[in-house]
Amino acid sequence: MHQAIAFRIAFVAAGDRADAEEAVQDGFVKAHRALGRFRDDAPFRPWILRIVANEARNRRRSAGRRAGLAPRAAAAASGDAAPSPEAAALSHERRDALLAALCALDERDREVLVHRFILDLGEEETAAALGVRRGTVKSRTSRALGRMRSALGEERP
Amino acid sequence: MNGLEQELRALASLVEWPEDADVAPAVAARIAAPPPRRRTSLRLAVALALVLVLLALAVALVVPPARTAILDWLGIGSARIELVDELPALPLTAPIELLGQPTTLADARRRAGFPVSPPPRSEPAPDEIRVVDGRRVSYLWRDGGALRLLVTQVPGLLQRTEVLKKLIPPSVRIERLTIDGDGAVFLAGGPHAVYLLGPSGSFEEDRGWLAGTTLLVDRGGTTLRIEGDLTREQAVGLVRAMT
Repeated sequence: MHQAIAFRIAFVAAGDRADAEEAVQDGFVKAHRALGRFRDDAPFRPWILRIVANEARNRRRSAGRRAGLAPRAAAAASGDAAPSPEAAALSHERRDALLAALCALDERDREVLVHRFILDLGEEETAAALGVRRGTVKSRTSRALGRMRSALGEERP
Repeated sequence: MNGLEQELRALASLVEWPEDADVAPAVAARIAAPPPRRRTSLRLAVALALVLVLLALAVALVVPPARTAILDWLGIGSARIELVDELPALPLTAPIELLGQPTTLADARRRAGFPVSPPPRSEPAPDEIRVVDGRRVSYLWRDGGALRLLVTQVPGLLQRTEVLKKLIPPSVRIERLTIDGDGAVFLAGGPHAVYLLGPSGSFEEDRGWLAGTTLLVDRGGTTLRIEGDLTREQAVGLVRAMT
């Protein structure tokens, strides 16, 4: 259900499970109270994802934490999670290198790649969740991928 | 898409996500509660969520239609649930052409394109089996000329699109259930409107019907819908007999 993606976005933004859950609840309730300001012709999901992500980011800031996914992903690289066939096709060394490069990115670059590729959101929903313009998502994605390639020693001409 | 993007997508399955909680009951409770005094409303929300989930949902149903979009999140499987104040004027039984061509079970399964559960063992064989290629399979039982029981299966969330829409007026009771691990919603207490996705890929507002008591079950690859004059226990029993 849609709740699941809202929760994951909140978890990435808040860096903590309990805060993520509260952020989803508060976000939904706030969204409900703000429905009068919601334009009927606008897509509903990006709108509510933006509200939930904002709630979660505020909690992270007040707790002084880093965004949540990177350390989790590093832990997962130890191999406990059941990999998809696509992930299984990556060697352990490659997974470690990718995760290390992802974690080493600065927060903005990492966030955009996590939303676009790990959470599998489109540009519009990524923009909503990060509170930036769609054009910013495009340029940040391209720059972050470039930095990952550099870190992996795969710079393209 | 280039290789690095594909590799990042492949990493997604390695991420260990914490289990997400079902926040819908707590949200419905908080929406139903008066908004002021944050500490009180939080405490009230927790209490309501624990003890009065059903009552809170019933109260939440009185919100006006423009304010109900948030409660769309109560949708289940590939069914979208919208809460409305009034029902549109629609026929009282499913227009038979919406259920497709009569056929055999084997042919329906072949043409469905998604996993189809057999008719419930606890019932006699259906009077009719109907299929719309790639969209839905229905089992129909008649009593005289009237439709006594209708079981419809539609593709589940795997297709990531909603194929079933329900408009629920305040008179209908909504209960969320879990049946052997599958999420389910039981709708009872009055009629609600049902629409099936039309060949155009959108819901055709004039081709729905008003349904009575209904159980919706999200079986992952399939969303199951049972409509008939049934108690909740009878409906759950039919679901369990469909394996």
